[in-house]
Amino acid sequence: MTAISRFAPALALGIVVAQAAVAEDIRVGVIAPFSGPFAQYGTQYQQAIEAYQAQHGTSAGGNEIEFIYRDVGGVDPDLARSLAQELLIRDEVDYLAGFTFTPNALAVAPLIEQSQTPTVIFNAATSAINRDSEFYLRTSYTLWQVSAPMAEWAYEQGVRSVVTTVTDYGPGIDAENAFVETFEALGGEVLDSIRMPLSTTDFTPYLQSVLEQSPDGLFVFLPGGPPTYTFTRTYNENGLREDGIMFLGTAETEESNLQALGDPALGLMTAYHYSEAHDSEANAEFLATLRELHPDAIANWASVGAYDGVHLIYEMVEAAGSDGPAAVQHALGLEWESPRGPVTMDPESRTVIQNVYIREVIRNPDTGLLENVEQGIIATVGDLGWDR
Amino acid sequence: MGLFLNIVIDGTAYGMILFMIAVGLSVTMGLMRVVNLAHGAFALVGGALAHWFQQDLGTGFGIALVAAIAGTVILALPLELVLYRRIYRMGELQQVLATIGLTFLFIATINLWQGSALLVIEFPQALRMPVDLGFRTLPAHRLAVIGLGFAIILFLWWLLDRTRFGVRLRASVDNRDIAAAHGINTDMVYLATFGLGAALAAIGGIMGSELLPIEAYYPLRYMVLFLIVVAVGGMGSILGSFLAALGLGILETAARYLLPDAATISFFAIVILLLTLRPNGLMGRV
Amino acid sequence: MRDHLVPIVMGLVAVGLFFAFPYDLAFLTRVLVTIVLVLSVDLVLGYAGIPTLGQAAMFGTGAYAAGLFAIHVWGDPLAGLVVGAVAGAAIALVSGLVLMRTRGLTVIMLTIAVAAILHEIANRARDLTGGADGLRGIRMQPVLGLWEFDFIGRTGYWYALVVVIVVYVGLSILTRSSFGLGLRGIHDSPERMRAIGAPVYWRLVTAYTIGGGIAGIAGALNAQITQLVSLEGFAFSLSAEALIMLILGGTGRLVGAVIGVALFMTVHHFAAANDPFNWLFVIGAMVLVVVFFLPQGIISLPGILLRHLRGGRDADRA
Repeated sequence: MTAISRFAPALALGIVVAQAAVAEDIRVGVIAPFSGPFAQYGTQYQQAIEAYQAQHGTSAGGNEIEFIYRDVGGVDPDLARSLAQELLIRDEVDYLAGFTFTPNALAVAPLIEQSQTPTVIFNAATSAINRDSEFYLRTSYTLWQVSAPMAEWAYEQGVRSVVTTVTDYGPGIDAENAFVETFEALGGEVLDSIRMPLSTTDFTPYLQSVLEQSPDGLFVFLPGGPPTYTFTRTYNENGLREDGIMFLGTAETEESNLQALGDPALGLMTAYHYSEAHDSEANAEFLATLRELHPDAIANWASVGAYDGVHLIYEMVEAAGSDGPAAVQHALGLEWESPRGPVTMDPESRTVIQNVYIREVIRNPDTGLLENVEQGIIATVGDLGWDR
Repeated sequence: MGLFLNIVIDGTAYGMILFMIAVGLSVTMGLMRVVNLAHGAFALVGGALAHWFQQDLGTGFGIALVAAIAGTVILALPLELVLYRRIYRMGELQQVLATIGLTFLFIATINLWQGSALLVIEFPQALRMPVDLGFRTLPAHRLAVIGLGFAIILFLWWLLDRTRFGVRLRASVDNRDIAAAHGINTDMVYLATFGLGAALAAIGGIMGSELLPIEAYYPLRYMVLFLIVVAVGGMGSILGSFLAALGLGILETAARYLLPDAATISFFAIVILLLTLRPNGLMGRV
Repeated sequence: MRDHLVPIVMGLVAVGLFFAFPYDLAFLTRVLVTIVLVLSVDLVLGYAGIPTLGQAAMFGTGAYAAGLFAIHVWGDPLAGLVVGAVAGAAIALVSGLVLMRTRGLTVIMLTIAVAAILHEIANRARDLTGGADGLRGIRMQPVLGLWEFDFIGRTGYWYALVVVIVVYVGLSILTRSSFGLGLRGIHDSPERMRAIGAPVYWRLVTAYTIGGGIAGIAGALNAQITQLVSLEGFAFSLSAEALIMLILGGTGRLVGAVIGVALFMTVHHFAAANDPFNWLFVIGAMVLVVVFFLPQGIISLPGILLRHLRGGRDADRA
């Protein structure tokens, strides 16, 4: 790798000059779940990509851009690797994108390293991924990026004691570490850190223990879908809300789950980088185009991660065509206005620097739907987990 | 003491949900001896129908519940006539394959119809209120499930041990040819029992949905859980499933209180221990 | 088809596929690795009659053992395969001592439970296994010191093919030995075997252990070729799919495992690529068609066709 990166800039120069004259066909391989329990994330990626194309056309800098979708089904690193190999070798893609789950993203590191393929991560949020290859660029967020600001905000609000309950796997541990370290550094007290097995179906025992310790706040990390649904209901029904134990979360109230959570979600506080209800021109335009193409579409982290990811790919293609190292070089430090707010591609961690908002779940009186309403920006941060 | 009571209360409530979701399987697999991996699929159909009636057609919870159970049975009966009737005669492996294939088709159908998002069933307000037990509260629907669980076990005991239908069913299962020779219409008995299993699956899917929410992949996600309850209880014994569900519910809840992050390991370790000590299950007949 | 011809035909087909689909080696290699796993299920289930839904326990153990061995001890592929086999066999032996005392549904549930526990242990032993992120940093040395693992996956493909053929030949010798015949006897009637004084329990434990060793080889092979090991190696879905593929192909014949895997994975590959949302329809329908019309699996198809053809001709003559 060191040899490649040393020569890359020189190589890039030569090709960028050549590029100006010759237009190329650029292919982007998107690896995401299109079947199985997580199929809606893949669908959302695809819808966001189509929205971007509707707004900006299908070419950048005279290069026609084609997206090739591959279904990885769920957490399946073997398959992710094999699909990436197939895309690189048979379909000769110039860019890779997608990646909902950390293990799948990590699995392709040796491949993109060897083939020098810029790989845009639409979601996978563990800090460690980008350390595995210089060719990873992340347009989502990291768990440190949202969990640490949550701790700061909670402390500002007068929360002094907290119990953390996270699902016992990589991302959950990342979130727990970020929250606990930040909260304790501020002088807050973490009474207990509970790690709940991934297969947990009944959260009552965990929440009953929390209730009996009666902390000021409860920091939570859960995978989307059934666990979040059950957990938030149990939080309400076992009197934690009544006791004033503040729910402090991140992705739990994301939009694809939110309406299903129903009234028990009202008032839940989360720190996150994107809300469908974000009030900005860029978001309004994005949502308008998205709804025009897919009237039932829901916009959430998956949509905005993909939308910005495509933007980044268009920028890279325009500047460097199919030259991977030059494309990555161009992406570093790039700034643009995303539907989530202003973002910058951090040259060091290669994850976007962005606003993190504190939001409360409120029922919109006009539409009757639940929304994550932003109460303000709590921080503009890069990947705080990069140096850990 | 507080901890002990918590374990007993939460464990019973959880165990009863396990019983509710597994009792239908205890009927089809335990009594009828068909390896029915599609059990969860019938629970899914019940849940999806209840969701549809309640959220899309706007009926109340009670009507949605009854309509969903009826709908599931209406779907199950022709399936019995066309497919299951032939599946009964297959070897165990073929039964596994056939019912798995059926499960795939159900998942794909529900996915096409309702998508892969959560299919929420809202309990009526009265069941969502917390009930004060003196030292803590418990949501009313947990108490309702406990009550319903007892009602179902009593009903099944009455049906299987105290009625002519129960006699015919046991005779048909023990030896179909002899039962038929004694003038029992075994086809009808099997059809009715299969319908009963499907109805119980639907009830379990709906009443358990607060803990095991309905979505298209429900049958695969919880398949192991259903099977464990029936296996630990012992094939052919409804009471065994009942005891197994309560026992496992209480033990897993205890593990969640006492060894929070090792709860899954403890659960499976207990299963291994129980099945090693009693290979035919708690109440299994050899 | 005569059994000893199968590995030869298989090898020829594999060579043909190599040249016909030079860009799909990643997929073809996955098929080969899965064949090894399903062969192990065939020995355990098809020959010894032990119902199992937990073969992933040994697959995952073999994968982690080989991965850790490559990272911390020695990157030689063949040594890694041996380590994977030993690890898989060890887990199978230890659990088999308990499992083989039970029967039917109980065995199935116990095999599931063993895999679930190992899954959770690997998840929690993060420092050693990488937890849910997977075990990374596996760098293999060239096979026999001659062939580097390359980007396109040519070495991986040939390497996997040779392993498949060696395992296949080994198993066909084993199943035709007196040990294998004894297993068939137990499968058909354990009581009779016990009555004639055969050590049924120990034969089952032995078969389960050998099956575990082969599953361990499959896991190790996968770890070496993909350079990563993940928790999914212990997943229930892996055991379940392996079982489905075997029953599809036909149990109790080694060639059934090969055909079942090839068919299932090819259909999945194309159905999922063309219409990922609805591929479960295709797989579900395929499974039902096979189970209702070819209850002995796809391998029974030629025999049935032949009988029909002959039957037709006989009818003409009559």
